Amino acid sequence: MANSGAKTPASKHGVRELVESIAVSIEETGASSRGLARSQRDVSEAVTELQREVEASAGGLREMASSVQTVRKDAELLAQSVDATAATLEETARSVKGVASNAEDLSAAVEELQASSVETSASLVDMAARGEASSSSIAEVGATIEEMSKGIGRLAADSQVVGERVGSVSASVVSIGKSFGEVASNAAELAASVEETSQMIEEMARSVRGVADHAKALESATRDNASTVTEVAASVEEVAATSEKNAAVIEANASAIEELSRSSQSIASSVEQVNSSAQASERASMQLAGTTKRIGDLSDGVKSASDRVSVSAREGGAVVAKSIAGIGGIRTAILESSVVMKEMGKRAEEIGDIVQTINLIADRTNLLSLNASIEAARAGEHGRGFAVVADEIRALSDRAASASAEIAKIVRGLQTTAREAVTSSAEGVKAADEGATLATHADGALRAILSGIDEVGGSVREMSGAAAEQVAAVQVVTQSAAKVSEQARTISRAVTEQAQASQSLVKGAAEMRQMAKQTTQAAGEQARALRGMVQSNHQLTTTAEQVARAAQEQATAATQLAKAAVQMRASTQQINGAIGEQSRNMAAIGANAQEVASLTQRTIAGLTEQAKGAAEVAKAMDDIRKQASHTARAVSEQAKAGKQSEAAIRQVAQLAVQVTRATAEQTKAAQSLVKAGDDVRRIARQTARAVAEQAEALAALAAAANRQNTSLVNVARSTVQQTAATEEVAQTVEDMKSRVREIVGVSGNGVKGLLPGARNGSAATKAADRRRTKRD
Amino acid sequence: MSILHVVFKVGGTEYAMPADEVLQMESYGGATPVPGAARGVVGIVQVRGRVVPVLDLRARFGLEPIAATLNSRLVVGQDGARSVALLVDSAREVLKLDPEQIEPPPPMMADDSQGFVRAVARMGERLVMLIDFKRVIGEERLHGE
Repeated sequence: MANSGAKTPASKHGVRELVESIAVSIEETGASSRGLARSQRDVSEAVTELQREVEASAGGLREMASSVQTVRKDAELLAQSVDATAATLEETARSVKGVASNAEDLSAAVEELQASSVETSASLVDMAARGEASSSSIAEVGATIEEMSKGIGRLAADSQVVGERVGSVSASVVSIGKSFGEVASNAAELAASVEETSQMIEEMARSVRGVADHAKALESATRDNASTVTEVAASVEEVAATSEKNAAVIEANASAIEELSRSSQSIASSVEQVNSSAQASERASMQLAGTTKRIGDLSDGVKSASDRVSVSAREGGAVVAKSIAGIGGIRTAILESSVVMKEMGKRAEEIGDIVQTINLIADRTNLLSLNASIEAARAGEHGRGFAVVADEIRALSDRAASASAEIAKIVRGLQTTAREAVTSSAEGVKAADEGATLATHADGALRAILSGIDEVGGSVREMSGAAAEQVAAVQVVTQSAAKVSEQARTISRAVTEQAQASQSLVKGAAEMRQMAKQTTQAAGEQARALRGMVQSNHQLTTTAEQVARAAQEQATAATQLAKAAVQMRASTQQINGAIGEQSRNMAAIGANAQEVASLTQRTIAGLTEQAKGAAEVAKAMDDIRKQASHTARAVSEQAKAGKQSEAAIRQVAQLAVQVTRATAEQTKAAQSLVKAGDDVRRIARQTARAVAEQAEALAALAAAANRQNTSLVNVARSTVQQTAATEEVAQTVEDMKSRVREIVGVSGNGVKGLLPGARNGSAATKAADRRRTKRD
Repeated sequence: MSILHVVFKVGGTEYAMPADEVLQMESYGGATPVPGAARGVVGIVQVRGRVVPVLDLRARFGLEPIAATLNSRLVVGQDGARSVALLVDSAREVLKLDPEQIEPPPPMMADDSQGFVRAVARMGERLVMLIDFKRVIGEERLHGE
């Protein structure tokens, strides 16, 4: 364009303008080249700064990588401790399960105890009923014994009366015996006089025969004989008197015998009475024996019942001891689990601290990533990869933060659960303590039952012994009553025989009386005849033959009389024998009566003793009744205690159920804890993985930063080269400018005035400056 | 052309400002108080060797003050040569916002907010207030600048 301007003079002016414009543009080009060079230096500086910043960010990344490494270590530590926590939790869960099974055992044992206690209570109630029944029957027995005692007293009184009567009978028998003796001696006298009479009669018969023999001779001596006859009459008179005396004696004898008979009859009736009362006493003592045996049976029943109660109370005691041991086991298990829970809480706090650290690190990572993002945005296109990495780092740190927040939540839950578990285990310990206390109370109650049963056994044994003694005493009473009865029967038999003998005695006495009357009559007649004979004594002389005949008749009569006398003698001898026999009988009766009396005395003594014994028995029965009522009261107290112990056991059962429920809840809580621990473990693992990923990403980021750095170095290098090229361009432009100046110089000086380059140049520089500022 | 924004929270509301107005983000461990500081200025801190005033956005936005937490952040903004650290409740996110996501604020809100809110960005259900950093830090220089 400059050339065309120089060749065409016509357009010289236009060429100059063109050259001027070229110069201007060259000037502009130079200026812009310089500006470019400057701006390239600026770029170079900026790149250098960028490089420095990239290096700084690489340093930051390394820092971050090291902190991420720390995070990873912490996360691994966390994972380990979470593992340990999880193991501890599992252990806790196992021990809680152990506690639960213990609690179930306890519950079962308590149920068993309850059942046996119910049984005990029922048997106690049964025993109470038995005791009451035994008490009432003992009261009955006591009443019976008292009645019996009264009856024995009455019997004793009756026996006293009987004894008195027997004594009087004995006395009267003795007196009868004595009078019998008198009768016997009288009879002997009578017999002697009868003998005498008989002899006299025989003598008389002989003499009458002699008279008769001598009648004829007597005829002569009638006068002499008259006196003899008178003498005979007198003696006959005497005989008659004697005979009358004899009759009177016989009369007396007969009446004595009748009296004897009457008294022996009264003896018989008395003996009959004795017999019947002895039989009554025997019956009463038999009854006594029966009731005593019943007392023995009842006390045996009470004894066996108390033995049963004792056995079941001992069993209850064993069960209570077992349950106390079980409760102790529960207590220790709960305490152990409490300790484990506390440990767990501590561990959870440690985890919380670690989680806090992780949170902090995640926070810092987030901050770093945000700053990295901002820096990357500032770096523009070059920072794009870096921005992606920063985003990833932020996402990872957010994930870490949310995971750690979750862990923190879980740890808080864990701590709460551990605290609750500690509280509930304290409650469990309290409940176990209460259960132990209650079980101890139950044990005490059972012990009281046992001692009460021992007392019952003692009183029952005493009762049994008393009953045995009573049985023995009653047997003695029965035996003595039987003996009394036997003796009374013997007496009765003897008395009956005696009465019979008395009857025959009375009959004999009546016959004797008859004979005596006849004898008296005969003697009277004799006397009368003799009196007539004496009267006719005067006629004797006259009627000797009559006398002889009469004498003959008399002799015959005398023979008859002798015969009668013989007969009388025989009868008298018979009477005598009968009386002797009677006397002997009476003596025997007397001895018997004496024996009866002594026996009666003995019986009375026995009865008195019996009465005393019965009174003692009654007293003992009263004691027994008191003891039985004591026993009944003790048994009812026992029943009450049994009920109380039953209630206590029921309470224990409820507590055990509560404990079981609490342990079940504990188990559930522990299971959820285990699950939570597993979650924590999983999250910790995820955290560890995430941190590892973060580390990897950081490494990638560092590599990217390095790459960036390298490319930046390249950029710097190319910029330097560019600067050199630009400077060359500037040089060339400078050359160009000088050449244009030369051209302008050749073209003419006129152009010089037309070169306002300084003004235009400064304008161009200003424009260039503006552009640069804009680019900056 | 989407622009990277730093997102932060003050009193439950999300705010954002362009990342190129942000010099640095820092965790907040308290500031050194300055006597006679302007309202909302809690003190000064050091950032990259520079002393920067801390402006509590809660105080600036007329909210009740709260104690600093682990989540509290300083968003160090730059307006020309001025650097001011904004104390916010939390800041954990950067977002790229497209121009079509950004709308001018409703008129009533624009009147009420003293011009602090330059625009409203919609992120699905989320609404993020774009603050006018210059207006927020005010014209007068703060202590520590």
